Amino acid sequence: MTALSASSPPAAQPVPTLRERLRRLRRSYLFKVVIQGLITILAVMTLTFFMIRQMPGNPFQVRIEDLMTRQGLTYEEAYRAAASIFNFDPDRPALLQFGDYIGDLLQGDLGMSITKTGTPVAELILRYLPWTLFSIGLSVLISFTLGTTLGLSIGYWRGSWFDNVVTTLASIISGIPDYIIALLIILIFGVQLEWFKIGQVRGGVDPTITPALSLEYIGSILQYAFMPMLIYTLSSIGTWILAMKSSTISTLGEDYIAVAQARGLPQRRILSAYVGRNAMLPLITRLAINVGFIVGGSVIIEEMFQYPGLGRNLYLAITGRDYTVMQGIFLVITVAVVASNILADLVIVWLDPRVRLDKGEEA
Amino acid sequence: MIGLETVATPAGLIIGAICGLVPLAAGVYYRKIGVGIGGFIACLLSGFACGLIGGLPMILLTYAVVVSYAYVNRQDPFTSRAALEDVSFEVSRIEQLQRAMANLGITVRASWKALTRNKAGLIGFIGILFFVLVTTFGPLFIEYDGAAHMDRRTPGSRALVAPPSAEFPLGLDWKGRDVLSHMVHGGQRLILTSIQAGILATGIAVILGSAAGLLGGAVDQAITTVANFILTIPAFPLLIVLAALVEFDSDFLLALLFGVLNWPTLMRAVRAQVLSLRERDYVQAAMALDLGLWHIISREVFPNMVSYVAVNLIFTIRVAMYSIVGLVFLGLVPLREPDWAVMIYTGRQQGVLFLPQAAGMLLSPIIAIALFQLSLVLFSRSLEEIFNPRLRSGV
Repeated sequence: MTALSASSPPAAQPVPTLRERLRRLRRSYLFKVVIQGLITILAVMTLTFFMIRQMPGNPFQVRIEDLMTRQGLTYEEAYRAAASIFNFDPDRPALLQFGDYIGDLLQGDLGMSITKTGTPVAELILRYLPWTLFSIGLSVLISFTLGTTLGLSIGYWRGSWFDNVVTTLASIISGIPDYIIALLIILIFGVQLEWFKIGQVRGGVDPTITPALSLEYIGSILQYAFMPMLIYTLSSIGTWILAMKSSTISTLGEDYIAVAQARGLPQRRILSAYVGRNAMLPLITRLAINVGFIVGGSVIIEEMFQYPGLGRNLYLAITGRDYTVMQGIFLVITVAVVASNILADLVIVWLDPRVRLDKGEEA
Repeated sequence: MIGLETVATPAGLIIGAICGLVPLAAGVYYRKIGVGIGGFIACLLSGFACGLIGGLPMILLTYAVVVSYAYVNRQDPFTSRAALEDVSFEVSRIEQLQRAMANLGITVRASWKALTRNKAGLIGFIGILFFVLVTTFGPLFIEYDGAAHMDRRTPGSRALVAPPSAEFPLGLDWKGRDVLSHMVHGGQRLILTSIQAGILATGIAVILGSAAGLLGGAVDQAITTVANFILTIPAFPLLIVLAALVEFDSDFLLALLFGVLNWPTLMRAVRAQVLSLRERDYVQAAMALDLGLWHIISREVFPNMVSYVAVNLIFTIRVAMYSIVGLVFLGLVPLREPDWAVMIYTGRQQGVLFLPQAAGMLLSPIIAIALFQLSLVLFSRSLEEIFNPRLRSGV
């Protein structure tokens, strides 16, 4: 029997039973992390759902009063009208409302916006998300690429005048809050030196140009995104430079660098293939974690430039007490953060074979 | 709290002067009069600035420094300047106390040396000192200008806001008030609230992180779960929601809220640090010698964490200031004048952001906040050297 099976082709190996497969799945790292992520998302949803309903200023009451004064309705009539507009019954216990919400959510329905009557939340999010993804995503890429390149070179040639200048500039710029940088740029370059018109940097795109895949439209998008992107890049590049510098310096102390130098490898090869790649590893993890927060956008910067992204609209939803939009945006951000944390773990395993995930969280 | 009411008042000055008598007397007694006078001035200033809260710790520090100059270690005939006949191995209580004081003084002097050695750190320290001095003592010299002055309108101008002039060095704001007085009076609360928030967040993080690392098991798991949960929620939008929920009638509440939301990152770092320190040889050795939990925490684990925690404290203070100014900037917390952040908010709200003559009113708080944050960053660089016993060489 054993001789027979040994001589048979590998395809004849016993097929794992369903139960074995399930057990293997349960033990796998990914499964564990995904379940944990789902629990976290549910917990955040629960917290935000009940928390935002405690905020003073109920949008339902506001609308009822609005209807009563504007259309001269009685309270009863206004109440019924408002209930039909909002498509939810405010007298229903919050717990049941929460059940409805989760039920809808499982069917992929995020509900209707409360203040923007008749607009599904999903549609609003899909409308805002591209702006934020585009502006912050591109700036993160730019500042990461530039920052790591600069950090690598000043780490390698540390002590040079170039290192001193870049390190000083990086620590100065990483120490100033992003909105302060924005205000300084507006006040100095916009108001005092008049290098650009301030009115031109508010909004997402020139409203007079019709949306099309034309050169003009894309140019306008880039022109309007320039300011926020400049500020995102400036406010994050310093951290990347400094992190890459310290990572490079610690990598330079490794034995394999000394060996590579002893072997007489050209400096360029050592810098790119030996130092750069290894020094980059911890930063890649940080980048992957950052991806989650890209989605949320920067509330203050987007509000400042009236940029039509997710951050500004979250702020508008919070101040306007638009419960469903708030929940929807919080959900999207939470999912993105959870997903990017998992992504960070997977990426580092893929890049660095020394790291094993099943060793536990300390890796 | 006694002390904070006496800030920059004659009472504070008297407290400082009384506190200063201790190092002065010690200086006269040990014939180190120069050091004694230095101690007197330090006590006077800190008593003046913080009342008893500043005065009492300063007595200890300055007295220790004076003692450290004069103290002769009789137990150590090889490295000390004690004459051979003075060497004695008898240990009296006073002797022990003196030695502890001298050691503290040497630490203070070494820290000071480490601070002055790092140029960037020194600049940061001077920057922080500058803002603290200006916001505490400035109000003594410059009166708060709170009422609108319609009569200060420059002829031919439509707005009251005016650029810097000889009479008003930082210009006038949108109500025609002196910007300089707002700068001097409006920084203290922001700085104090940020420091409070930073201390609260760091304190929670250190306590929970040590508990998670040392106790392990269910405690560890519970704390880590909560931390991961808080880390997932976007911090600033959550703060906006909570700002609507909680009425911030006290600054402490705002600081506490910030602390409750911002401990997880540092907690994870402290926990990892404690876990790795627990495995180090010297800690294992101390455990094997049965030196007691308190000794292990205070002498072996804590000194190795303190520089990291101190650097993080500064970082958290910066984030706190960022969040507080951000909340005010969006108009989400009750606005109280005078305040640097409120100056920016009203500037934007009143539409003077785009008036060239409003530069004085807007740039002053903006540059002040930027410089204060910058000073914190620079200062945190030399904190590492001050607190790390390996980097800190002797006097």
